[in-house]
Amino acid sequence: MSQAVTVHNLVKRYKEVLALDHFNLEINEGEIFGLLGPNGSGKTTTINCILSLLKFDKGEIKVFGKDMKPDSYELKSRIGVVMQNVAVFDELTVYDNIDYFCGLYVKDKNIRKQYVNEAIEFVGLEDYVRFLPKKLSGGLLRRLNIACGIAHKPKLIFFDEPTVAVDPQSRNKILEGIVKLNKEGATIIYTSHYMEEVEQICTRILIMDKGRSVAVGTKDELKKMIKNTETISVYVQELDEAVLSDIKELPHVYDVKYASNLLEIKYSGGQHNLVRVLDYFKQNEISFGKVYSEHPTLNDVFLEITGKELRD
Amino acid sequence: MNFFHCLKYSLKTMLKNKLTLMWTFLFPIALSTFMYMAFGNIFEKDEIFKTIPVAVVNVEENKAFREVLDTLAGEEGGSLISIEAGDEDSADKMLDDGKITGIIYVADKPSLKVKEQSVSATILRTVIEEYVKNEAVITDVVNTNPAGAADAVAKLTSGEKYFTEKSSSHGVQNEYYNYFYAIFAMSCLFASFAGSANISKLQANESALGMRRCLSPQHKMVIVSAEYISMLFVQFAIECVTLVYLSIIGINFGDRYPALILILFVGSSIGISMGAIIGSFSGLSSGTRDGLCVAISMILSILADLCVGGIKNTIEQNAPIINRINPAALISDSFYALNVYEDYSRYTSNMIILASMAAVMLIVCVLILRRNKYASV
Repeated sequence: MSQAVTVHNLVKRYKEVLALDHFNLEINEGEIFGLLGPNGSGKTTTINCILSLLKFDKGEIKVFGKDMKPDSYELKSRIGVVMQNVAVFDELTVYDNIDYFCGLYVKDKNIRKQYVNEAIEFVGLEDYVRFLPKKLSGGLLRRLNIACGIAHKPKLIFFDEPTVAVDPQSRNKILEGIVKLNKEGATIIYTSHYMEEVEQICTRILIMDKGRSVAVGTKDELKKMIKNTETISVYVQELDEAVLSDIKELPHVYDVKYASNLLEIKYSGGQHNLVRVLDYFKQNEISFGKVYSEHPTLNDVFLEITGKELRD
Repeated sequence: MNFFHCLKYSLKTMLKNKLTLMWTFLFPIALSTFMYMAFGNIFEKDEIFKTIPVAVVNVEENKAFREVLDTLAGEEGGSLISIEAGDEDSADKMLDDGKITGIIYVADKPSLKVKEQSVSATILRTVIEEYVKNEAVITDVVNTNPAGAADAVAKLTSGEKYFTEKSSSHGVQNEYYNYFYAIFAMSCLFASFAGSANISKLQANESALGMRRCLSPQHKMVIVSAEYISMLFVQFAIECVTLVYLSIIGINFGDRYPALILILFVGSSIGISMGAIIGSFSGLSSGTRDGLCVAISMILSILADLCVGGIKNTIEQNAPIINRINPAALISDSFYALNVYEDYSRYTSNMIILASMAAVMLIVCVLILRRNKYASV
């Protein structure tokens, strides 16, 4: 599989601050690649270096196998960027904004018109084409921002936290759209500090912290990197030490906690763990309330690797 | 062609920004109106000469001279002088109090007493000198050729001129016009604000919009040229409106309209180019850029006689190279050259220098922007 982006040993400093510390990255064509990390971890800096906007101190970056430079116009024509901040002209209508940016990539008027209309339909702004940006809500504005970035049908699209400050309805629409773009053949690089979004749409994920790659893989591969595979929580009125000891002896259990009427059982592997716990309660006639089973999230992965929460 | 696509939207963006557009239009008109008002009625020639109040003291009998004075005081359509009645003491008092401009002593040899030198005092002195001279001529003719005396008197009093006054210029030569030339120069250089603001919007470290445009595969030359031409279009229109306005209120810039319009065009382009260079420096904040635009435009305009007349001449005598590279001086000098000189050599030379400077600045701006990478965005 050919690579859309490769980053090797990238070092970027902002005066005394080391923003990227020998950072490596490989993104295959056709992927939805997630860059996940807390604010300030270096996600946007990485993207800006790849796009040749930022100077970097050391390292090598290739896009579609070629060096990316400020005047790499051929490469730029295959790239679309949806930035964190909305980048549109306040004086132009929704249609004109999309048409302007699309026109920087597509010369043919007829093709451009078709692309612009498709982009408008894609983000669901058909009813707002004559609106000025200031008349749009935050969510609609974000959709316009996306339309401006993808109207020219790029092969590689960077989405830098596109859902910040967006209502849930618009957020879902945006995420669905990204998956659709990928199905149509675009490679997506998606940065976010919302792990749910990354889990939902990304085929491969790189977790970064303090400018370094902490872990990379599919979400299942990442989750396999940690001990915990399942956590079962049960609300129980009273439990004695003997019961807790019995539960600890159940297969694959590696940790049991009981506090404030909540029993938390952590598993490392195994199947049908919930059935075994419920069987144990039935056999010992222990009454219980709500029961739920949780599989580890990327936050658990991040927590176990770095010792801190993703949203710290 | 993508250039026209960029041009279309650049113009659209500019023309839809109504507030900025309104102020850009109003500024040169307001400034020239204030300047016009500050000069008062200097341009209204009919009101330059006002009746000069004088006192007449009879020292000796001189009927002829007294008759001349009475005639000047009683002319129809506005008298040159008005005669205040009184003796020598009261005349002195009126002179001290500033009620009269001077005291005319009627005698065999008329004389004048004034308190201070002024245009009015000069006029009075000229009247007396003219009388004395004419009286001497007539006396001489009477003594040497009594038969031609009547003819001599008729010719002297007819005001006949023995030469023809012909102006080689196409406009009005008036030192105050230099201020209006300088206003045009400043207005053109103030286009640097638009140049700086619009070009800085192409910088990735300035705005998300700049970043998006930087990431497009469009050559910088195309985007910058489109921005440049749309700014030039707007600024040139502003300058033309100002020219029409000033002409309507009575400032005469001559009749060489194509050449005048070319000054405005080239002047607008030098202002925008200057701003484009400032806007292409990525490390500057918008405040610093605006400050630079104001400072540079004002300094160059002041050196071109915007506030105080004579600076440009002083520079011309001591360091003429400054006037050759100061765009404001070149613009105002182009107006002057058109107004004063018959041939176009000085004007053409100014235009060539200005156009070359504008082109060089634009190219440098594109070169800076083309390979810009930022330390932070």
